[in-house]
Amino acid sequence: MNWFAPIPLSIKLPLLVAAMMVLVGTVASQQVLRSLAQVQDARIQELARMHVEGLSVALGPLVLRHDIWEVYDTLDRATQGGEGRRMVLTAVADERGRVLAATDPKRVPVDSDIASLAGDAVALDELKVDGASPVLSLLAPLTYQGRNVGQIASELDVADLLLERRQALLLLIVSNTIAIGLLSMAGFLAIRKMLQPVTTLARQMTETNGEPHPIPTSEIPQGDGELARLARTYNSMVGAVAAKAEAERRLAERERFVALGRLSSSLAHEINNPLGGLLNATDTIRSYPDRAEVVRQSTDLIDRGLRHLRDVTRATLDQNRIATKTRELTPDDFEDIKLLIQSEVSRQELDLEWSVDPVAVTEYNVPAGPVRQIALNLLLNACAAAGQTGRVGLTARSREGSLTLQITNTGSGMPEAALDRLLGDGPLSFGGGVGLRLVRELARNLGGAISHSHENSVTRVTVSLPTSWEASYAQE
Amino acid sequence: MEHSISRRTLVGTGLAALMAGRARAQPVFRFGLTPVFLDNDAAVIDGLRHALSSGMGREIELVQRRTYQEITGLLLERSVDAAWLCGYPYLQHADLLDLVAVPVWRGSPRYQSYLIVGTEDRAESLTDLQGGTHAFSDPDSNSGYLVTATDLRRMGEQVEGFFSRSIFTFGHRNVVRAVADGLMRSGSVDGYVWEALEVIEPGLTARTRVIARSEWLGFPPVCARRDSLASDPVQALQTALMSLAETEEGRQALRSLQLDGFRQATPALFDGIADRMRDMDP
Repeated sequence: MNWFAPIPLSIKLPLLVAAMMVLVGTVASQQVLRSLAQVQDARIQELARMHVEGLSVALGPLVLRHDIWEVYDTLDRATQGGEGRRMVLTAVADERGRVLAATDPKRVPVDSDIASLAGDAVALDELKVDGASPVLSLLAPLTYQGRNVGQIASELDVADLLLERRQALLLLIVSNTIAIGLLSMAGFLAIRKMLQPVTTLARQMTETNGEPHPIPTSEIPQGDGELARLARTYNSMVGAVAAKAEAERRLAERERFVALGRLSSSLAHEINNPLGGLLNATDTIRSYPDRAEVVRQSTDLIDRGLRHLRDVTRATLDQNRIATKTRELTPDDFEDIKLLIQSEVSRQELDLEWSVDPVAVTEYNVPAGPVRQIALNLLLNACAAAGQTGRVGLTARSREGSLTLQITNTGSGMPEAALDRLLGDGPLSFGGGVGLRLVRELARNLGGAISHSHENSVTRVTVSLPTSWEASYAQE
Repeated sequence: MEHSISRRTLVGTGLAALMAGRARAQPVFRFGLTPVFLDNDAAVIDGLRHALSSGMGREIELVQRRTYQEITGLLLERSVDAAWLCGYPYLQHADLLDLVAVPVWRGSPRYQSYLIVGTEDRAESLTDLQGGTHAFSDPDSNSGYLVTATDLRRMGEQVEGFFSRSIFTFGHRNVVRAVADGLMRSGSVDGYVWEALEVIEPGLTARTRVIARSEWLGFPPVCARRDSLASDPVQALQTALMSLAETEEGRQALRSLQLDGFRQATPALFDGIADRMRDMDP
């Protein structure tokens, strides 16, 4: 029945109704035919019984006397009557089964064995018009004055009964076909009409490119029936889904700003730290303007400090700007990320392990924006999880045809709720950020996969990203 | 033909009614009939009765029985006044019976016995029928039994041993039916009856074939007890039979019977049958 499953409900149910009507019609026809067969069987049995009883009365004394001629004459005269048309052959035998006479003596000669004629004959009560043969064979005892004095074998022509049965069957088939056809069509249309709201609902749910749309008011059934309530409930759900999506979008946006806030904080440290040195350098220059060596060293210091500030500023700007760009990933992006988390690393006195394979990074032509976002979010989480004097690491290399980013950190493992956001598609639990869910969606959009492990107090999150064209192919 | 018979029968019935009025005072004459001829045709029987009743001037009751023996017995015990017998039972009781008249068929008071088979049967003589089934008419019939039985006796055979089975149908027409329908392979039948059937039921005789004819033998006679031959009723019957050809009603009856008339005869007419009877003596 697998072939039946894909058929729409709006077709399936009317078809089932039509099939039920065909079934009912067939069963009803079968009952009619069975009744007709029973009537015919009763009729033929009654006729045969009258035939046998009549012959028994007429032939009893003649059979007792073995009066061949009188037996034949009686059979011959009986054959001339109306019953003769039904009885195509009748043979009468004595008690030993030796034929005394038959209505067709050439076929059943005198003194022949009646068993040769009655090979497939049945008793009176078992006589049935079974449709296999237009001629029935009957073998009955010839009873006279309470004792069996011989046997009567008859062949009954039931061709007319079979014809009657065939005509009845034909009539039933034709009439039932017409009636069932009309009823099935009416049933089909009625059920289809009744299921129209369901069809509309299904279309609204499936043909909206992943974004459900409410059912137009004009297509909602009148009244307060189940289908009308269903349509209204659906419309309410569509509104709720849209509101939820909007809330999630806003939450994601906010998460980005939260991350930026944390970055800004780091950035302030990053800027503030060299500022003291820079200001000292300017004081030194003011104090010793005539000491060229001191001025040169102070100027170099200022230059390095300003360049550092410039790099930090550029990286921050890039982080916020690149998201929508389609530039491909380069090793410099990882340098930026390293720069961005440097303040967090320094603040928490973390041990940073950094390993980026430049060939692998450029080999896969993956877009820079999403990868930077993924790496930054995971690293910031790793820094937070590692705690003071912990260890954080990033490895970017090629493995099994993918660009593999592996972010590790020491410390306790990721809580269950965080894992759900990173690895699952279920609804977001109350509280907590959406940064990890953002990582998951970004990785999925790139056609990638995320895995997680926690061994020996080291949490390891691995993101595998295919080439950009493989990702496109996978998304199609 | 049926239309003609019906019209004439009506005329005959009218005449009979007139005669009956005249003969009401006379006792009923009982006339026995064997199945020797077309006894299945009510019109023929009725025509004969009316013709004889007119000729005798008295009412006639035709008495029919299934076998020759029954009719012969009725005659011997005086239950009938006269009877149309066969030559064989006449000779069996020749000491008590006497001849009243003998029918004339095709110009002669003689007839033959026929041996018949189905048209598809290849037999050409009685010898070819050995081992088959056979239909006789009556054990007291000359043509329907005695002739074939004596032929077999002359061949050194017995009926019981020669045929695998033999039956009596108690009617010459029945013999023809039995053979035509294939119930029996062969049959012994009155030649006069077979010829008469060929005229009125050609479809029946067409399914049979005559393979042997006996010598000409005395036609079945009308007999009365010897001691009542001279009585008025029997004499009246004799006169009426002799005069049948003189009235239209009588001629109609004769035509129905396909006979020329009746005439007197001597026992010598039945010598051929007597010879066969002697051959049958053990």
